[in-house]
Order: sequence, then structure tokens, then C-alpha cells
Amino acid sequence: MKFLCVPCDEAMKITETKGPEDGSLAVVFGCPSCRRQVAMLTNPMETQMVRSLDVKIGGQQAPHDPMAFVRSSLAVKREEVPSPSEPSSTGSGCPFTSIANSAFERQGSMGGAIWSEEAAERLNNIPSFVRSWAQKGIEQYAREKGHQRITVEVMEEARQRFGM
Amino acid sequence: MKTYGDIPGDAGSDVLGQVNAQQERLRARMARIHTKVAVLSGKGGVGKSVIVANLAAAFAEGGLRVGVLDADINGPSLGKILGVRGQRLAFETAGVQPALGPLGIRVLSMDLFLPSDETPVLWTGPTEGGGYLWRGAMEAATLREFLADTEWGELDLLLLDLPPGTDRIPSLLSLLPELHGIVIVTLPSQVSQLIVAKSVTMTKEIVKAPILGLVENMAAHRCAHCGAEEALFAGEDSAQMAERLAIPFLGRVPFDPVLTRCADEGTPVLLSHPTAPAAQALSRIAAKIGEALHLTPALVKAEESP
Repeated sequence: MKFLCVPCDEAMKITETKGPEDGSLAVVFGCPSCRRQVAMLTNPMETQMVRSLDVKIGGQQAPHDPMAFVRSSLAVKREEVPSPSEPSSTGSGCPFTSIANSAFERQGSMGGAIWSEEAAERLNNIPSFVRSWAQKGIEQYAREKGHQRITVEVMEEARQRFGM
Repeated sequence: MKTYGDIPGDAGSDVLGQVNAQQERLRARMARIHTKVAVLSGKGGVGKSVIVANLAAAFAEGGLRVGVLDADINGPSLGKILGVRGQRLAFETAGVQPALGPLGIRVLSMDLFLPSDETPVLWTGPTEGGGYLWRGAMEAATLREFLADTEWGELDLLLLDLPPGTDRIPSLLSLLPELHGIVIVTLPSQVSQLIVAKSVTMTKEIVKAPILGLVENMAAHRCAHCGAEEALFAGEDSAQMAERLAIPFLGRVPFDPVLTRCADEGTPVLLSHPTAPAAQALSRIAAKIGEALHLTPALVKAEESP
């Protein structure tokens, strides 16, 4: 996909990427001549589609990290399987999938979520092999929506949002 | 106004360059592997993985340096069959050190990433909706990483255990165009042969990949008491099927409870019960494959054994 600044008839270049937030990435393109900017906003499906190709919007600048894609993409993996290097520690520019993967991986890892007793009980009823994955998703959803407390209602909203 | 073709490159991501770099890593890793063979069926439940494990054991016993890649991302079983599930993968800068199976067989399987028996492969993502659209791409990227980022070292032979589906071979060939041969496994049942025939057509006619031959698994059951053989299925004779499809017939592996027990225990029958009928049959099949691929003279001798 290429972007053209029509008034200048110039190809636009990526200047910045942001996100993902709520499954959406913002990729900002700028015209080298007139400096006009446009942002391409992806929906969750598009984010996931590009991510699954294991290419990085903005270019791959970090050294290759073996099996980074698998390690960052598995929702549930062995404890001894290390997470791949974070983009910030590798000095990469705008790695699309690194951003996406690390953000997904951070889901739920920030802690501090308060679960109502009812919600916690409901969480415990989720099969063990997907529980941590579900918990991370729900906590991430709650943060994005500004919920301080995770209730059954919030869980239900998250369930509908993620199709869980 | 400029058109797509007027603009060189992309907006700065160099996606083409990234894809080329992925392919170059794969090419460099595969260059150290002399021979690559895929085992497929198209049909599930025919015993491909058990055959792969035992072929690997036969070649390793013949002195070859052998690796096995479990390409069944969602239904990995080679870790169990080769008894390596408890091992930890070592993540190093140069690549991931695979698990070591019997006779030093190098094994890489998704099973080695999963924490428990009950854990399925689940991908992180903002949405599970439309998974049918992106799941295939995730699996393809995973297979590419398994091939390219595993520190296989110098291997004489890499065996790839493909999951069910007639579409698997074209997908694999897009990653590994230099594949040296394909072994196709069937049961002697009409249902299995119906699907396997499609795989043969896909492999031979559509993607024109080299077929080493057809293996018939669970060929017959031999009574433990009287030794009489009894057919388990009522399909076409697989040797005739191979002839009809104009591909070599590699042999029959009898249904043998010892074989399945060994698979459950994580030990190739060929090593633990070398005189069992199934082990003998698998040795002969390995010898034929070895001969076809000029792998080693040691294996050809096995063909002469009863």
C-alpha cells in the first residue's frame, strides 16, 4: 500500500506509528513537500492481519530475535519460554508487529486490577488453560474503558468485545 | 498523477525487504541440511507422526544426522512420540536449540512451547472474530520461524510431519521449494484412500513435487496367538492404488499394538522392539527411501534383512 499526496504528486512517507489501542494502530504518513499528514487507522481485524504476516510497519531495524513471532503471539506458553526483546530495548523505529505483539503481551501484566468477588468467581470458572489469557484480555479492556473495578458486567462487555 | 508503479519502494516499511530477509534466513538455515523430506497424507489419523518418528529413528540408527519438524501446529504429537516433551528449548542469539530425541534426533514441535497437556494453541490478538482469515497466516509464519530459527546445525536429513489437509504441500513448498521428496501415508480404507488420492494429485499434478512413494499403515492385524493375518479395512489394495496413481509403493506397516504402545511411551518401536513386524516393515520402508535419495549405503543393507 502506498500513499500519494495529490496536490504535490509526491509519495508520502511513514512518520510515526501509535498503538495499538483497542486493537487499532495509527500509522501517520507525511508528505515530504508540503508536510501534510494523514493517519491510517486500522481496525482490530486489519491489525491482526498485518501482524500475522510478521512484517513491521516502519521497517525492521532491530536485530533478528529467533522465534520472536511465535513467542510474542502465543497467548499461553511455557514459563521458561522467554518473551522476545521489547522494541525499546532493541532501538527499533516503528515495528508494527513488535508494537502490536508487545502491547498484547502486556495485557494484564500491569497489575492493580480490582476484581469484584462475583467476577473473580466467574473468572475461576473459566478453564485453567485459557484463564490467564482471558484475565489479561479483560484487564486490558477494563483499563482501556477506564473501569477501576472489574465486575461481572465489565466481564460481559469484554466477552462481547473480544468474542470470548 | 503518479500511479502505484511510479513510486519506488513503499512508504518506509520496506516490507519487501523484510520478506526477503525472512527468506534469506530460511535459505541460510536450510542450506546446512542436505535432504528435506515431507510426510503427508491429507487424511488425519493415519499414523503419519508415528511413521515419521520411526523413519527418523531408522535413519539415525543408520548413522545419519536427523532432525524432525512437527509441522502440525495445532495438533502436535511428535514431542510425545519421541519422548521429548519434558525438555526445555534453549533460546540463543543464533537460534533455538531443539529438543534432543533418541539417537540425537533433533526435534522441534509446538508442543515444546505449550505448558500443559490441556493447552491448545491460542494466539494473542485484539480479536478472535474472523479468525478464519488470519489463523492460516499465523500458522504459516510459525512454520517459517520453526524452520528458519531452529538451530538444526548440519543435518543429513530433516523430516517434516505435515498436518492433515491437501493444501499443506503447496503451502510448504512456498517455504521450501527445494524439498527433496514426499512420502504419502494412507490406510487401506476407502475413506482414507479417497482423500489420499487428492493429495497425490495435488502433489504430482498441481505443484509437481517429487513423490517418493506411498506407505500403507495399519495394513493388517496379526493374531498374537495363531499368527493369522486379518485385514482391518476393506479399501483398494494400496499397492494397486500406487500403481494406478503412477507413484512408487514403499510398503505396508501392519497394525501392531507394540507400535502404538511405544508411541505412547515416547520410544520408537524400531529401537525398542526391532524384531517386531511393524519395526521390520518400517526399516524396509526407510531403506527404500534412503536408496531413492542416496542417503547412505548403511540403510540399503536393511532392505536385505527379512
